[in-house]
Amino acid sequence: MIKNYLKVALKVLGRRKFFTFISLFAISVTLLVLLVATALLDNVFATGAPEVHADRMLGVYRMTMKGPENTWTSPVGYAFLDRYVRPMAKLPSVERVTITTAAESVVSYLNGRKIQSSMRRTDGEFWRVLAFDFVEGEPFTTVDDENGRRVAVISETTRQRFFDGRPAVGKTLEADGQSFRVVGVVRDVPLLRYSSSADLWVPITTAKSSGYKEGWSGNFSALILARSPADLPQIKAEFQSILRGAEKQIPDPKSFKTLIAGADTLFEGAARLFVPGPPVVDPAIQLRAALLALMLGFMLLPTINLVNINLSRILDRASEIGVRRAFGASSRTLIGQFLIENLVLTLIGAGVGLALAAVVLRIFNASGLIEHAGLQINARVFLYGLAIALFFGLLSGVYPAWRMSKLHPVQALRGRSA
Amino acid sequence: MINLRQVSKQYRTDRIETTALDNINLEIGKGEFISIMGPSGCGKSTLLNLMGLLDEPTSGQVALDGKSIDRYGDRALSRVRNERIGFIFQQFHLVSDLSVVDNVEIPLLYRRMSNKERRKAALAALDRVGLSSRIHHFPTQLSGGQQQRVAIARAIVGRPGILLADEPTGNLDSQMGDEIMGILEDLNQKEKTTIVMVTHDPRMADKTHRVVRLFDGRQVQ
Amino acid sequence: MIRHLLKLVWNRKRSNALIILEICASFLVVFVVATLGLFFLDNYRRPLGFEWKNVWNVRVGIPHTGSGPGDGGSPEQAALFERLLREVRSFGAVEAAAGTAVTPFDQGGFGGSWTIDGKNVEMAIDEVTAGFADVMGLKMVAGRWFQEADSGLAWKPIVIDRELARAVYGTADPVGRPFGKPEPNERQYRVIGVVSDFRKSGELMPNDNFMFRLTDLRAPDVRTPSNLLVRVRPGTSPEFEEALVKHMQAVAPDWSFEVLPLAQVRATSSRFFLTPLIVAGTVAFFLLLMVGLGLIGVLWQNLLQRTREIGLRRAAGASRAAVHRQVLLEQMVVTSLGILLGTLLVVQIPVLDLIGVLSNRVFASGLLFAMVTMYLISILCTLYPSTLAARVQPAEALRYE
Repeated sequence: MIKNYLKVALKVLGRRKFFTFISLFAISVTLLVLLVATALLDNVFATGAPEVHADRMLGVYRMTMKGPENTWTSPVGYAFLDRYVRPMAKLPSVERVTITTAAESVVSYLNGRKIQSSMRRTDGEFWRVLAFDFVEGEPFTTVDDENGRRVAVISETTRQRFFDGRPAVGKTLEADGQSFRVVGVVRDVPLLRYSSSADLWVPITTAKSSGYKEGWSGNFSALILARSPADLPQIKAEFQSILRGAEKQIPDPKSFKTLIAGADTLFEGAARLFVPGPPVVDPAIQLRAALLALMLGFMLLPTINLVNINLSRILDRASEIGVRRAFGASSRTLIGQFLIENLVLTLIGAGVGLALAAVVLRIFNASGLIEHAGLQINARVFLYGLAIALFFGLLSGVYPAWRMSKLHPVQALRGRSA
Repeated sequence: MINLRQVSKQYRTDRIETTALDNINLEIGKGEFISIMGPSGCGKSTLLNLMGLLDEPTSGQVALDGKSIDRYGDRALSRVRNERIGFIFQQFHLVSDLSVVDNVEIPLLYRRMSNKERRKAALAALDRVGLSSRIHHFPTQLSGGQQQRVAIARAIVGRPGILLADEPTGNLDSQMGDEIMGILEDLNQKEKTTIVMVTHDPRMADKTHRVVRLFDGRQVQ
Repeated sequence: MIRHLLKLVWNRKRSNALIILEICASFLVVFVVATLGLFFLDNYRRPLGFEWKNVWNVRVGIPHTGSGPGDGGSPEQAALFERLLREVRSFGAVEAAAGTAVTPFDQGGFGGSWTIDGKNVEMAIDEVTAGFADVMGLKMVAGRWFQEADSGLAWKPIVIDRELARAVYGTADPVGRPFGKPEPNERQYRVIGVVSDFRKSGELMPNDNFMFRLTDLRAPDVRTPSNLLVRVRPGTSPEFEEALVKHMQAVAPDWSFEVLPLAQVRATSSRFFLTPLIVAGTVAFFLLLMVGLGLIGVLWQNLLQRTREIGLRRAAGASRAAVHRQVLLEQMVVTSLGILLGTLLVVQIPVLDLIGVLSNRVFASGLLFAMVTMYLISILCTLYPSTLAARVQPAEALRYE
């Protein structure tokens, strides 16, 4: 039965090749853009190496200190995180906690060559919250950190830049005026993985001065690894109550009275970044709404285009439809057949769009516009793409199908469409 | 006025060649009212189309006012269609999205005239066919007879010397048919318009000056 | 003829409605992309107000010692910074050096908004040492730049740009005038000079109102600058950079130094703006292609449906060229309706002053560009279908079922 519909659909689509072509073009272009955008978002927000446990990981990335006259928003200071967030590791639902700086740009001079790298200073727990892929050596440990050892884990690209790609463990490199001994080499991390990406990682205690230990605002963030995804809401709530307690101990109580922060998922963390200042509406909701609006806004033009094309296709066959109705075909059958045709078209177009997206992503990765982008169409992106395609096909088919059911058989036989 | 010499028309599809008209010789004088009769498929409409320059003969010559239209390009043909000929179709072919008076104006759009002049001529033509009270109606709001009258008004609005009517009463009942016939006779008598009419109806044909009969694409009798 | 066509299009507005909508949506897409591009272009043509070639920005990472945000650092740090400036200037390859809180071309920075004489004035601010004008090649149009002696004044000297001068003082000469009302326990600001322009955000962004404040490294409440700007002699080798950094590191071992030529900051900054524009432009191009193809298909189908009408017109004396012309004109009318709808929507922006930075000229140019584009697309897409329509023999057309 379905096979019959399919055969008919393909035959009909083959009859008017130009219409089929322009429909496919519209669908594949739309899907191409949406798939690339989805792959980008997936790279930022979804679990992926080394943030393989992102589904049970929360981060404290930014904090706003609010006072009667001033508002100060920035990444968090070491003092705050060490005092209030690190102890959360003792909670039964928390597996471990790590503190890391944001990736900072540092310069090295090697044989007259200038090398710019991004560097993170982290503690030993960092390597157990995230799962890096080591191609050489191993990470540094908490003991290394406590003893202020000048060791470093570098990325493959860094190894290429400094050591020409040869084995690097045991060798020394200089960055930001300091010397580090390489203990491990990892696979490149996509730049968009904002919790973990860098070109080299060194222990926090190697900082040039110990000034970082003070201050509630600084350049740090903390990552909390829960035991299971179900624990996340409870940990978030716990963090909020810790905040309330911390408010009583604000170092500059004259200027600031309240703290606004959160233990965020990757999505929420990014939302907090994009929606600046003290949030009125939950920034994650705002970001979600904005993304949805963008997607629908983009799809507006292609949808109108497809509706027009589909309508033309139907009116083209008005007399055929009239004949069929005169011979007793019900509206349901006709609409059903049209919808199947539409679906077949949508799926083929989506397939083309998928193939094109794969090519575009490959070009994009190679272009180095976003370092180590590593964008790909994984199962998640594919499923999203499929869902969007089906939604799109449905949207563009409803109105024409309705018009088709309204075709008056006699008028249709005369070739008129109204 | 209209002269056809050894005119033939063949239609060719992929495999089949049909002869619609075979060696027609016909001369129609100015002011004549001719009817063309014959069974279905005998080529009556094809003959009319050739006379109206809507189609080209496969062989033979069509001449209007002594001038052969053999070598006429599209521009020249269009001018003749516009200025010398008025066509009335069996299916009316009115534009359903335009009002009656806008439909009647159509031939005048392809002439240099001011909008006011066009409107005046259209109203006059509609008056001639007795439809002055319906000028802003749309074709779908009119009866068959009224629609045919609009078509006639459109055909005469440019004051052509020749009117070609293809089964003008074919879709109408006898009373309306008589009315239409009356208008045509009036035009022929008062304005001396040359009229060639294709018809099934012997009653209508009897009212004309001459009857040309066709059978299987050839003139008979 | 036009009246006739207008009536025709209007009477068919229901079946034309979706096309009009599509053209309106396409118009909006083109308008947004074109206006953005023209906006950048318009800004790019104006003078920057400073020289960036051969200027390096050294980001100075001073470890945090304070207890809270916004803390400028200690007097010891300021003294160290001053020493750095002196040492850097002593190099032969260095022509000038100064400290600044904000890096030119950088998107961050600080600003303020003041209420002066009842007006709300927004501005961008930088705190700089006296050598800044030499490093950046600023041009004074009135008054003078900061001097070392200014640190002893009873009021706070500021230098403003022409935009800010116009915003606050109109056409009057601002030199010597007070600026706004001081905070309690703060000295009064007074204008000592006006620079031609200072477009800190770069060529692609519109003019800011700009204010310079003097960083006095000897004052007790000083905020130590986070950047050191160095103007080097043209042709200075890259090895000098390493030597410079090594020397600075030796003077301040606890501090971090990162050298970025302003050329690089500029490139990164413009990439930040231009990349989305290029992406949007490419997507828009493909969308327009899609719309064009759709239009051809829909038009072709429309004309097919009107075959009998076209046959009729041919019978009534329309030449092929006349049919061509009619189809084209009809489509122009439909397109115009779509453009009209789009324009009505878009014109709300300046009327409601929704986007302040957009000048009327840029806005109008964007509108014009979008209109021309849509008309061009319509004409192109009508060519083939109208040719097909005009070609049919009248007799055949009238027989069409």
